Amino acid sequence: MSHRQFIAAAGFFLLSFAVPLVVHSDYTLQILFRVFLFAALGLAWNLVGGYAGQLSLGHAAYFGVGAYGLALLSKVGIPPWLSLFLGVGLAVISAAIIGLVSFRLRGPYFALCTIAFAEVVRLVAKNLPDVTGGDVGTQVPLLFTESSIKSFYISGVLLTGLAFVLTAWIERSKFGYYLMAIREDEDTAMSVGVNTSRVKLWSLLISAALTAIGGALYASLFLFIVPDQVMSLDMSVEIAIVPMLGGAGTLFGPVIGSIVLETAAEIFKNIFQEAHLLIYGVLVVMVVIFLPEGIAGTIANKLRLFKKAPAGSLAAPVPVRPEEEAERTAFRK
Amino acid sequence: MVLLEAKHVSKRFGGLKAVNDVSFAVSRGEITFIVGPNGAGKTTLFNLITGVVHPDSGSIYFQDQDITKLAPDQAAKLGIGRTFQIVKPLRNLTVLENVMLGAFLRTSKPAQAEEEARGILTFLQMEKFLHLPARGMGLPMLKRLEIARALATQPKLILLDEVVAGLPTVEAIKLAMLLKRLPEWGISAIGGIEHVMQVVMKIADRVIVIDRGVLIAEGKPQEVVDRPEVIEAYLGPKYKEIGL
Repeated sequence: MSHRQFIAAAGFFLLSFAVPLVVHSDYTLQILFRVFLFAALGLAWNLVGGYAGQLSLGHAAYFGVGAYGLALLSKVGIPPWLSLFLGVGLAVISAAIIGLVSFRLRGPYFALCTIAFAEVVRLVAKNLPDVTGGDVGTQVPLLFTESSIKSFYISGVLLTGLAFVLTAWIERSKFGYYLMAIREDEDTAMSVGVNTSRVKLWSLLISAALTAIGGALYASLFLFIVPDQVMSLDMSVEIAIVPMLGGAGTLFGPVIGSIVLETAAEIFKNIFQEAHLLIYGVLVVMVVIFLPEGIAGTIANKLRLFKKAPAGSLAAPVPVRPEEEAERTAFRK
Repeated sequence: MVLLEAKHVSKRFGGLKAVNDVSFAVSRGEITFIVGPNGAGKTTLFNLITGVVHPDSGSIYFQDQDITKLAPDQAAKLGIGRTFQIVKPLRNLTVLENVMLGAFLRTSKPAQAEEEARGILTFLQMEKFLHLPARGMGLPMLKRLEIARALATQPKLILLDEVVAGLPTVEAIKLAMLLKRLPEWGISAIGGIEHVMQVVMKIADRVIVIDRGVLIAEGKPQEVVDRPEVIEAYLGPKYKEIGL
């Protein structure tokens, strides 16, 4: 991260903390909470899906385990905040199990495997009514004594800040280089001594922990959760689309993606009512076609054309088009 | 002193015996070339040594340690570096970062990895390209990048799979002259080459010839190319008596 980027990020987060001093509308703050929540979830996903290039479409599993961890553990008398952290622990354990199995697969097979696991988690939650409340859902305790949306907004900003700082640090570390090497070419990574299974698993564990915290916050805001909401495929897809739209494998991408996507979704909901999902879908398709590297990625790559980039300031990865991939692998044994 | 030893190594893919009961040894500080026609089993042999695939029978020793069942990353940690015949650069990373990745095997500090990488890129005369992404590079530079990345892991042995294939002759010879200096750094090398014999003759200390998975000749470069069975493998039985 360059000096200028650091100032921009610091300024952005300081301003974000000041927002509740000016904005008093609960409705606006709730939307802003959603923006930061998905920025944090996007940053978390970005470690696995962006930097390591492993397209996970099952992050709703960790989101749901975090949400249900908080709800169910506090039901048996454990204090809410302790339940939250135990829930995060459970999400990390499930990530370890899911990762150990699914990271044996590459490419689209990995993506399918993550979807399958998330569906298994959702179906288990649906079909254990004695434990989870099943389809009826379950109550979630409040994490804050004041039920004010302000506390949720601030914790959303804090979670995003945590995920951002973590990502910025990882990006410049050996671990970050290893993640990017795995995305670019797993065989090459192994040939220089990268234990790719272990590195991928670590990235998933960190990602799952952050995602689970987000799940718990979300659940506590709405006070009531059902499996089809917090563990749905829709949730997995949204967690993945936010950073992809903003720029997968870039530091700022998930934050930009969430600001654009979540505000656009809300605006469309107000203007187009029932048709908002259609407009939303068209927007996503347009971005994928015209900005395949995402918003932040496109800007970064355009800037690189004008000046020589300093070491370490990676431009966003350019996705390989299928025909190009076919050409690259045509003579491979 | 023996650095790498393969004992009766065989590997079959379905009905094809890619490597068939091959035994050889490589000494420290030596540049060995494995030559053989297309499909002879050179790449499979490299994949066996680096743990990408494991032999069906036989065993491989590196510094007297059994590495037969090792995974590729463990082989790299022990000091076996490799390049790929079909170049495999990290396309979206810069040249410098590609090489830093190799250096991270021996250090955790990015600054130190960068210094290491710069040194190696200077040796390979690539200092002009440090900050360019690998995806825009041409084949000659990508071949060098493969070598640079492998050298950055500070290997004791480096496997160079078809490292000059597809290069213009001048470029191939230039690269070969750089590789000839590897033993100065205490690095032994095994090269795999199909037909660029000028390079082999210039820099090889020893040559191993394989054909259809079987080791057919072994020795000093000049004496190996004069053997009738080598000529037959390349040109067919008709030319056996005529010579190359």
